[in-house]
Amino acid sequence: MRLLLRQAWRDLRGERGRLVYFSICIAVGVAAVVAVAGLGSSLERGIRRESKQLLGADLAIGSWRPLGEDVDRALEDIPHRRTDLAELATLVVTPPQPDRQPRSQLVELKAVGHGYPFYGSVETDPPRPLAELLENRGAVAAPELLERLGLDVGDRLRVGSELFEVRARLLHEPDRIAGAFTLGPRVFVGLDALERTGLVALGSRVLRRALIALDELPDGNHLDSVAETLRGRLEDPGVRVETYTQAQPALRRGLRRLAGFLGLVALLSLLVGGVGVAQSVRAWLDTHVDAIATLKCLGWRPRQILLLYVVQTLLLGLLGALLGAVAGICALVVVPRLLPDPALAAYVDPWQPRAILRGTVLGTMVAVVFSLPSLLSVLRVPPSRVFRSDAQPLPATRVLEVGALALTVIAVAAMAAFQAGDWDVAWRFTAGVLGTALALLLAAFVVRRAVARIPRGALPGRVSLRHGLAAIARPASATQGAVMALGLGLLVVLAMSLVEHSLTRQLTRELPDDAPSAFLIGIQPKQWSALEQTLREAGSERIESVPVIVARLAEIDGRTVSELAAGADRSRRWALTREQRITYVDELPASNELLAGELWSRAGVAEISVEEEFADDLGIELGSTIGFDVQGVPLELVVTSIRRVDWESFDVNFFLIAEPEAVADAPQARLAAVRMPAGAEQAAQDLVAASFPNVTVIRVRELLERVLVLLRKLALGVRVLGSFTVVSALAILAGAVAAGAARRGAEVALLKTLGMTRFDVVVCFATEYALQGAIAGLIGGIGGVVVSAVVVTQALDVEWSFQAWRLVATFVAGIVLSVGAGVLASSRALRRRPIEVLRER
Amino acid sequence: MDSAVPRLETRRLTRTLDSAGQPLTVLRDVDLVVPAGQLVAILGPSGSGKSTLLGLLAGLDRPSSGEVLFDGEPIHTLSEDRLARLRRDRIGFVFQSFHLLRNLTALENVLLPLELIGVRRARERAGALLAEVGLADRGHHYPSQLSGGEQQRVALARAFVHRPSLLLADEPTGNLDSRTGGAVLEILLRLQRDHGSTLVLVTHDEAVAGRVDRQIHLLDGAVVEDRLTGPDGQP
Repeated sequence: MRLLLRQAWRDLRGERGRLVYFSICIAVGVAAVVAVAGLGSSLERGIRRESKQLLGADLAIGSWRPLGEDVDRALEDIPHRRTDLAELATLVVTPPQPDRQPRSQLVELKAVGHGYPFYGSVETDPPRPLAELLENRGAVAAPELLERLGLDVGDRLRVGSELFEVRARLLHEPDRIAGAFTLGPRVFVGLDALERTGLVALGSRVLRRALIALDELPDGNHLDSVAETLRGRLEDPGVRVETYTQAQPALRRGLRRLAGFLGLVALLSLLVGGVGVAQSVRAWLDTHVDAIATLKCLGWRPRQILLLYVVQTLLLGLLGALLGAVAGICALVVVPRLLPDPALAAYVDPWQPRAILRGTVLGTMVAVVFSLPSLLSVLRVPPSRVFRSDAQPLPATRVLEVGALALTVIAVAAMAAFQAGDWDVAWRFTAGVLGTALALLLAAFVVRRAVARIPRGALPGRVSLRHGLAAIARPASATQGAVMALGLGLLVVLAMSLVEHSLTRQLTRELPDDAPSAFLIGIQPKQWSALEQTLREAGSERIESVPVIVARLAEIDGRTVSELAAGADRSRRWALTREQRITYVDELPASNELLAGELWSRAGVAEISVEEEFADDLGIELGSTIGFDVQGVPLELVVTSIRRVDWESFDVNFFLIAEPEAVADAPQARLAAVRMPAGAEQAAQDLVAASFPNVTVIRVRELLERVLVLLRKLALGVRVLGSFTVVSALAILAGAVAAGAARRGAEVALLKTLGMTRFDVVVCFATEYALQGAIAGLIGGIGGVVVSAVVVTQALDVEWSFQAWRLVATFVAGIVLSVGAGVLASSRALRRRPIEVLRER
Repeated sequence: MDSAVPRLETRRLTRTLDSAGQPLTVLRDVDLVVPAGQLVAILGPSGSGKSTLLGLLAGLDRPSSGEVLFDGEPIHTLSEDRLARLRRDRIGFVFQSFHLLRNLTALENVLLPLELIGVRRARERAGALLAEVGLADRGHHYPSQLSGGEQQRVALARAFVHRPSLLLADEPTGNLDSRTGGAVLEILLRLQRDHGSTLVLVTHDEAVAGRVDRQIHLLDGAVVEDRLTGPDGQP
């Protein structure tokens, strides 16, 4: 082994260029892997570490309905402290002033009781205890709200029908991670003041939560058993109990999924680097053939020699991986500045030993696995080469070669599984990468064949074009691998950009003229005529309004919901126990189609019409009897029709539509959809908010814009990461070109001797690289279009949309990048002087 | 062209190289006059400055001092690009190791000088030259598919295809066995005669040296013997 290492070292020294190149190929991908893994794991760790603050309590009990006595009873024998809070979306308004119109804004209101939060603290400016700030109708508001409404600390703000004094700006809220999607900025008020706002009325959606701090602080297990006990005692399945150890489950799940996806993108740039490694190893061995023959003559066994080169590759791979890890750590220092929320950014710790280990292992593995097929050629070097340079190579060992290829495929799949955390995804990723690589190789081959067939004399234009074409078509072009890698990189970037484009387009698609631009919720029935009048005066069109009865399922065909929910999976349980919204109409809207039964056909029977999928999910059939609980009052309806709904239409639609006579007297609110004139939305909203404090206006366009901002940020990150693949590819191209520098130098000297000017020679080289870049751009571009189409239509289930300029840009980028990297890497060759043809023997 | 003006003339031509910090004079005060159409061999042991002289005559290298005149025009002061154009239009080269472009076929290699000048009906002329060197049917082969002798014949066709007034050859038979070398030499001399070019060749080969008009012997960078030989030069 010592001999092996010593010989490996001797072999490597004096090959600085190759060393640097090999390292870069591995380092770029490893940097991406380390950065992604480090970001993912430090965010996850940060969230877990701060999980108590993120819940603000040891455990929380939440429901969309007021928490009743059952909750108090359930907690009776557990020593604890408790504080309650309520969250809802509502409009806030500036109070009327003589010189200006009231202005309104949709906010996420949080009404908190004394003691909130048990862990962490709310930071405000000026810094005072929250309870003190909220006393006597005080409010704390996010700075962006104050800015938008032109308010300052000390000004007043109307929430519902109550005026509050803004006592401080909100700087940090421990149990909320911004950057995730929100309906609007945060406003804090006291829980006792909430009742007076009149917002907690029928039809408003209020999330109630009780925060619990356990007095005898239990360890994790004990906490879980308390939670389990509580779940058992609280029969209402609509009441959720969560502990801090499960804090932010949705956020963490989302992060993990994102990290898996980004991990695969990072792996891709590492694999592209692997192509470069394979190529570099082949060139490297070509220069070692004589040395290998000599070693064989000196009595080294072929296996020993193979091992010698594997060890060298391993060392180089390790070196590259370590360099990459350092780059990845540096990236982790920079990246947090790009995160949407400084609180989230604070979680990022660049020192992530496991991420570094992951990157280093993957990098070294790629180096060895991708070199192996090339390394096997050392077995074929004939010892007789020491006498005759044209000695026949030894026969190939098929088994080994096939084995090495199989190993490569399995290794890629294993690495993908490691990165994505899912074998199913890993196999599909591997198949996709293999398929794409094969397609690129095949296409490059076909293009080269086709070019070779063009009679070059028939081509118009300069010598340089013909010469460039000849270079492409020449047998065993050294830059083949580079073309494949560059094509793959461009494919990734284009596919990502088209996926983003399709998603954005889906979201921003020109809303049809009849689509509502705003929804109004929480309207009391007696307010409707006045509100409708106000809306008309504000210029709204296509005002559509329906009554909404909020109810819960009690039983279906005589079986209670608790019976039905027992043993059902999560989504079915949710469907059974969530709050249902029922409307009533005389005639069905146009977007509804009756599939079975008839509407309101049976005299003396209280009827209901059910949407088909809803009926399927809950096992409801024509003739079923459904029992509801409407604010404590039982209501029984018979299913007399099943409908299909076109959800893509912009009508307001419901799963459940009741016969008007049967439910008209039930407690209800109204929901309205209106089209407000573009540009006048804010004014209309201000008007509504001023006169109808309990009505919440949700503007579709504004919501979409929030989603879009988030989506674009995410997409930018993915694209930046994807462009690592292009960087790897360029390194490979430059490396392949530089590896052939000696030969190219001789060619340059000769061309100059034959009378080409320096400019001609540069043009000639540029043409060659431009043609290669064109092949990579064309094939990568077409591949990117195909991949994006598959992802968009199959995985995202969104309409695919295509922009030709992105394909053209990819094509042009392929040419520009290839020419840039190629000419730069040839600069030494291009400087060769003609006299050197005479010195060369 | 005024026949009184020599094709090539050098005046006190000197080339000094920097060898490990020490100036090394590889060519010293060489004065030569080569009339148009002459067939000149430069002889001498290795390291005597033969190739350096050839490079200076072709404008591939610049003298440390002294002058090179081509058709009476000083070329040692020309820019790189002007020199490139001079070579393109008026000089042909033959090298010891052939120096064909590997990614071009035989015919394309021969075409290249014509393409650089932008000659019309270039393919016909290139084809004709290939036929003259006896490779009419090998035009579509790549250099790697040709033997050494064949490669050198392609190189000869390439050197003559644009009818250069000066042909420079660096050990044209040096990499070939004596029989192949002899055949190549015959073709070279025939082409030179037919095209009326001035030919300066560097050689070790006595068989080659015996066929020229004039022999110039170099030793340690200086001309030690310069004599006319052969039928025209017999005193």
